[in-house]
Amino acid sequence: MATTALTPAATGARAGLYDWLTTTDHKKIGILYLVNSLLMFFVGGVLALVVRAQLAVPALVHYGFAAPGFKIVDEAFYNQAFTIHASLMLFLFIIPILAGFGNYIVPLMIGAPDMAFPRINALSFWMLPLAGLLIMTGFLVGGAAAAGWTSYSPLAQAKYSGTGEDLWIVGVILIGTSSILGSINFLVTIFKMRAPGMTMFRMPIMVWTMLVTSTLVLMATPVLTSALIMLFIDRNYGGHFFNPATGGSAILWQNVFWFYSHPAVYIMVLPAMGIVSEILPVFSRKPLFGYKAFVFATAAIGALGFSVWAHHMFTTGQVALGFFSFMTFLIAIPTGVKMFNWTATMYRGQLSFATPMLFALGFLTMFLIGGINGAFSAAVPVDFALHDTYWVVAHLHYVLFGGSVFGVFAGIYYWFPKMFGRKLGEGLGKIQFVIMFIGFNLTFFPMHILGLDGMPRRIANYSPDAGWSDLNMLATIGGFTIAMSMLPFLWNVFTTLRNGEPAGDDPWEGNTLEWATSSPPPPYNFDRLPEIRSERPVFDARHGLVGGGH
Amino acid sequence: MTAGSTAIVAHAEVGHAREGGISNVILGMLLFITSEIMFFAGLFAAYFSLRASAPAWPPAGFEGKLVWLPTAEHIIPVVTIATILLVTSSWTCQVGVWGIRRGDHTALVRGIGVTVVLGSIFLLMQAYDYTVLYSEEVRLDAGVFGTTYYTLTGFHGAHVLGGVVMLSVVLYRAMAGQFTKDHHDMVEATSIYWHFVDIVWILLFSTLYIIPNVR
Amino acid sequence: MSLPRLTRSRLAVVVALVAAGALLSGCGVMQPPEAVTSQGSEVRSLYEFVFAIAVGVFVLVEGLIIFAVIRYRRKPTDTELPPQIHGNNVLEIIWTVVPAIIVAVMFLFSYSALQKVQATTPTDIQIRAVAAQFQWQFDYLSADGQTVLFQQLAPEMEVPAGKTVHLQLKANDVIHAFYVPKFLFKRDVVPGVNNSFDFMVDAADAGQTFSGQCAELCGTYHGSMLFTVKALSPADYDSWLAAQIAKARETPPPAPSGGAGQVQLDIAAKDIQFSTAALEAPADKPFTIKFQNNDASITHNVAIKDSAGQEIFKGEIFAGVDVRVYPIPALKTGAYVFECSVHPNMTGSLTVK
Repeated sequence: MATTALTPAATGARAGLYDWLTTTDHKKIGILYLVNSLLMFFVGGVLALVVRAQLAVPALVHYGFAAPGFKIVDEAFYNQAFTIHASLMLFLFIIPILAGFGNYIVPLMIGAPDMAFPRINALSFWMLPLAGLLIMTGFLVGGAAAAGWTSYSPLAQAKYSGTGEDLWIVGVILIGTSSILGSINFLVTIFKMRAPGMTMFRMPIMVWTMLVTSTLVLMATPVLTSALIMLFIDRNYGGHFFNPATGGSAILWQNVFWFYSHPAVYIMVLPAMGIVSEILPVFSRKPLFGYKAFVFATAAIGALGFSVWAHHMFTTGQVALGFFSFMTFLIAIPTGVKMFNWTATMYRGQLSFATPMLFALGFLTMFLIGGINGAFSAAVPVDFALHDTYWVVAHLHYVLFGGSVFGVFAGIYYWFPKMFGRKLGEGLGKIQFVIMFIGFNLTFFPMHILGLDGMPRRIANYSPDAGWSDLNMLATIGGFTIAMSMLPFLWNVFTTLRNGEPAGDDPWEGNTLEWATSSPPPPYNFDRLPEIRSERPVFDARHGLVGGGH
Repeated sequence: MTAGSTAIVAHAEVGHAREGGISNVILGMLLFITSEIMFFAGLFAAYFSLRASAPAWPPAGFEGKLVWLPTAEHIIPVVTIATILLVTSSWTCQVGVWGIRRGDHTALVRGIGVTVVLGSIFLLMQAYDYTVLYSEEVRLDAGVFGTTYYTLTGFHGAHVLGGVVMLSVVLYRAMAGQFTKDHHDMVEATSIYWHFVDIVWILLFSTLYIIPNVR
Repeated sequence: MSLPRLTRSRLAVVVALVAAGALLSGCGVMQPPEAVTSQGSEVRSLYEFVFAIAVGVFVLVEGLIIFAVIRYRRKPTDTELPPQIHGNNVLEIIWTVVPAIIVAVMFLFSYSALQKVQATTPTDIQIRAVAAQFQWQFDYLSADGQTVLFQQLAPEMEVPAGKTVHLQLKANDVIHAFYVPKFLFKRDVVPGVNNSFDFMVDAADAGQTFSGQCAELCGTYHGSMLFTVKALSPADYDSWLAAQIAKARETPPPAPSGGAGQVQLDIAAKDIQFSTAALEAPADKPFTIKFQNNDASITHNVAIKDSAGQEIFKGEIFAGVDVRVYPIPALKTGAYVFECSVHPNMTGSLTVK
């Protein structure tokens, strides 16, 4: 097995569908991850539109008017829609698409020919479409999971939830297993497969974030697996883990679930931070400010991530409020360090605003809001007011959409030329960015106010007297605007793949090793490597800072 | 654009796993075991949490069901014997590993062979123990006591089974002479896994059998 | 893309003004409602404190980003590399330590607010909220914890303003959450867990009604799990409670059978919905409504309100599956609304002509 990395991958001639189905090339697997994740993103997006359409106007009959209530879907389907929306977006879009970037980019960035275990890599990927199908099959067998992606017990017990819940559990276990295998692969690749000269502190920040992310996956995801298995035993074999009626504990589920799911937030955002940390220096023509501080901040976020899970449970009245409040506040410090370092990277630079840079700046500003509005929930009494309201919906979307998804699109525009040898159109890219940025803020900013005004999450309808109607309509318009922004993107990808501008090996004047090979790279990635003397080997080579006799 | 023309690393050097240190396979196994530790940590956390919130442990009706010392009803404490066998198997496994490190194929085949047999006997004894407990109304659905007992021991048993399968593959390949003094990563990795499974059982045995009975 | 210096700084001013304007208008609407409890007021002042810091941090960092974006745009003359600054340890320490201090201060403030919000005081007023899919019930307890009134009638909690109320929370099926936005507070109602909290509605708010609802996903009709809290003056509360207890002791009168020739309207409820959204009845004549509740163990009733929202009739609330025949007094011609008192989103129109 140790020598698998040297086994020649299928050579170029044998292209075609069969090749894609059987490939163990990290670059093809990476692209498969991206495509599969984007498909899940679109399905999840459609479900989000169902949710937004339902909430556009109050579903209740106004006193004095005989008009029937406005309803897109019934309550049962509504609950399935937001449950599956969240499950697809978190488990089958954000986590895998970032793993997909990692798959494509990490071996290139460290000068390796492939991942450490190419066949396990393929296995990790192919579990994902299967898991997605399982989870969505619920719609065909009497209702998908409807207990929220958090699947709180007892609501997720057999008495209150149907077959869809079992399919969901099995699907998420599969995804978790895929993530764990993937994380082992990343860690071994990063520890063992670096090119000569690529010391730990010369690794690109993207690689560092994948390292920390993989550690989080390795430590947190198995705990979710154990929780899901216990829930499955409760549901199907008469177990009593989480069922208070028979001696189990409803709070136990929340503890075990959030022990995974809070670190999962960092699993979902750290690699996006890594992408942005690659893009900002390139488009500022400066090195990343405070490289080591950045590494330590990433590690600190990862470590602290394990001690804050109960801040999702403040209102249960069953957790140590002071401790978890303190730890949650603490995590703002390394996050702040990153924010300042990013900003300082641009200071005195020469900024150009190609689409990747625009999305990276979008990430900065939106993630800034997502970080700040999270501090409100760290203050426990304020969380008593805001928990489970639309404020939280706003917060998590500013982190995961404004942060991660903007980072994902930054990465797509940045590495598309490397992956396909053609540059995505700048015009369409900028149009997409503007529409998406506006749509995003239209959708999610009003939700802060809805939350303050007391609108709870996950309700299928509300009264016209509640005073939430206008802002909900605004959010719905924003939601459809985001959907619109996908049209220029898809058109851009379509036309670029057909006849886009050839990119060359290094269209952005990049810093890291992936720009030292051809676009797309050959099967083993590199015929030769530049000398690695810093975290910017390609920059050094371009400006003659290395080389000559040594 | 001078990237290509500056110092070049020879093609042969590109893509070599880094020299020195542990091999990819063993590092992968250690990381996998890390994830397994967290998996069992989740199950143990559930056990201790439920046990702490139960009014009595073992709950009424289950006192004295899990025995590890001989009693009037259970003259032969099956679990204790199974535990001794499993601990022994860890040692026989390591004897096999030491053997192949010296290049001694016979020692490898013997050590792993005995380990496979001991592991299988452990599984059979666990199955026997389950039937006895079931006849005494200790069932999976019998309160949190039964649920936690079968989940913890059942998942450990599944890991033992997985270990026996892996050891059997190692045994087959050992008999086919596929391992040498310098190339036997799979033997090392499997033995690490087997020791891990053993340690989990010692924790389980202490937690489920010894501690509740020592008061 | 190079702008002359003047234009560039003007652009910066415009951007700053627009940002400041948006921020100010944002600050105005980004406030929680005025709290009506003393605990809620603590939460609100803590919110305002956190909000002020949040705005400060946002303006600072966003300002730095926008400044960098505008000031350091690449010009065609920028052929040489900019200075390659790799970092600055003093700066790193500053922007680690300063946020740490800010965060520590925020923690201390929120921790001290938490102590006030969580504080309990001995009180005679004890109420128990019982949550179940998908309805609320409020029971009233005596000082020694005996239940004096099982209130079955409506998801409405009467509380004395100006007095501390100890609210116990109880659920037997799934997790719910007791949430009143104007309390700026919620607490989960967890099966197997005895949660409770104290609150005191400000004396000045006597006579007001506050809406509340379940805030933890509890199943299909989670969004229908509404309730109200009605603050009464202590004297009104005492007489209300006494009247309710007296009323509960009376045996309920037998349901009058509908006289011959009377109009009977049929309506049913299933899945927290009425079978029809429109009913018609004759004017100036008593009639009956036969109400079939098909939701097992979920309570419903039929109540009638006039177009001004004034309640004219309120039928007995009962759990399904069961049936009741409600006698309705004569109504004048006009448009009315019928609804379920337990689930105010179950509603329809009643036309009398």
